[in-house]
Amino acid sequence: MNMMAPLGTQSLPTKIAIKDLKFFYGDNMALKGITLPLYDRQVTAFIGPSGCGKSTLLRVMNRMYDLYPGQRAEGEVMFEGENILSPDQDLNLLRSRIGMVFQKPTPFPMTIYENIAFGVRLYEKLPKADIDAIVEQALQKAALWNEVKDKLNASGLSLSGGQQQRLCIARTVAIKPDVILFDEPCSALDPISTARIEELIDELRSDYTIAIVTHNMQQAARVSQFTAFMYLGEVIEFGETDNIFTRPKNKRTQDYITGRFG
Amino acid sequence: MALDQARYASRKRSNTITMALCWSAAALGISVLLIILSTLFAKGFGGLSPSVFTEMTPPPGADGGLANAIVGSLIMTALGVAIGTPVGILAGTYLAEYGRHTKLAMVVRFINDILLSAPSIVMGLFVYTILVAPLGHFSALAGAVSLAVLVIPIVVRTTEDMLMLVPNPLREAASSLGMPRSLVIKRVAYKAARAGILTGVLLAIARISGETAPLLFTALNNQFFSLNLNAPMASLPAVIFQFALSPYADWQRLAWVGALIITFTVLALSVIARWLGSTGQHK
Repeated sequence: MNMMAPLGTQSLPTKIAIKDLKFFYGDNMALKGITLPLYDRQVTAFIGPSGCGKSTLLRVMNRMYDLYPGQRAEGEVMFEGENILSPDQDLNLLRSRIGMVFQKPTPFPMTIYENIAFGVRLYEKLPKADIDAIVEQALQKAALWNEVKDKLNASGLSLSGGQQQRLCIARTVAIKPDVILFDEPCSALDPISTARIEELIDELRSDYTIAIVTHNMQQAARVSQFTAFMYLGEVIEFGETDNIFTRPKNKRTQDYITGRFG
Repeated sequence: MALDQARYASRKRSNTITMALCWSAAALGISVLLIILSTLFAKGFGGLSPSVFTEMTPPPGADGGLANAIVGSLIMTALGVAIGTPVGILAGTYLAEYGRHTKLAMVVRFINDILLSAPSIVMGLFVYTILVAPLGHFSALAGAVSLAVLVIPIVVRTTEDMLMLVPNPLREAASSLGMPRSLVIKRVAYKAARAGILTGVLLAIARISGETAPLLFTALNNQFFSLNLNAPMASLPAVIFQFALSPYADWQRLAWVGALIITFTVLALSVIARWLGSTGQHK
């Protein structure tokens, strides 16, 4: 699956640079000083046992945790030359640049068309023809167009789970973010839908920087170029996916990927 | 392992007894309802005629209808809902969306629960004190306000409950597109909770359309047709109260008709509310 030649990591531009990131749920420290790059137009997978902090890390990158009181982050997450953790960061703008796809498909209770057009209209006032074009493009990109082109006015909730998830991806893609965060996007899907989403992630890589949290190690191996293994709020090992899965340097990484613990 | 026959038999016995108790409790409840409905029907249906809806409440011994009371009830209920619903929805939205974990929300929630179960006659006296006494006269507006005071806690509660049922991931998904909080609530959360909130409003209408006590202190009653919000206005419950207690047979007959109209209107509203609630959940 990984068609790229072995990568000289130094030559890759960094899209997001995380430095000494600590995260707290109340008094409980969930991330204990994470330092990690997300390389431009690469897929970085985060693996590790439940509760290791991988979803938390993802939710820092679009400040999703800000919706909840008592959650806070310390450290540095540099994106386009700015620390996104800074208090004067405009969250709506940030989230339009760093999109997210969630574990469970979350279509809005509106039509398929509106599910996508809604997000687009937040940022641009466009004539209907242009919005139509963006909706079609987004659905094409999410490999959903052929299945829904005749029922764009049907409710987004009428689709199957796999289709709903692709609709959510289309919705995210439509507002042209730079980065897409996937939080266990396939854990509620059957194997066929999972395969389609994985293909999709691989295609999206040419335009977007992608981070994906997954419990499925085969999935991490299939879709990512880089992998971070996390445990108890720390990154135990980070490197090229091929290396992590074939020649892990750390004993715990090895134990985890071979299924001995976790 | 050998089956302990005695234990098994006693468990079966207690099961039978409990089941019988449950059945009889349910049967009792339903039969009371059926008796009420059938009595209303038997006593009220005969008096139903077009003149009930077109003629005014009569003096004793004359022919007449309930037109002024029906119109009065419609006006004051509509006005009460119009005043109470926006306040209730906004307050419920604050509780569920903005203030969910704040101290203020906890206090508001607690007070709202007290209001929810406060006797309606107290609400009537409250509005009497703040509106009727200062203005010096009873009025339909005061009646509508007292009904609104009853609507608010019901709508606050259902709005909050229904918004709480909207899954957080849906809010997160909307926020993750860069949607500001106000739009997340307006376009996504309200949309997902719409059926439930509407159900709450319908239940509030059902509740206030039968209220008598608050109206007696505020809108009083009016023997004549009136659309003046600044004057006393007739209402079905107040007319029923007056006519049912009277010694005149024709007044009593009209009271039965009025009771029939109210009861079946409320029943219809509850059925619609139920139906809306269930379709909302299956989405």
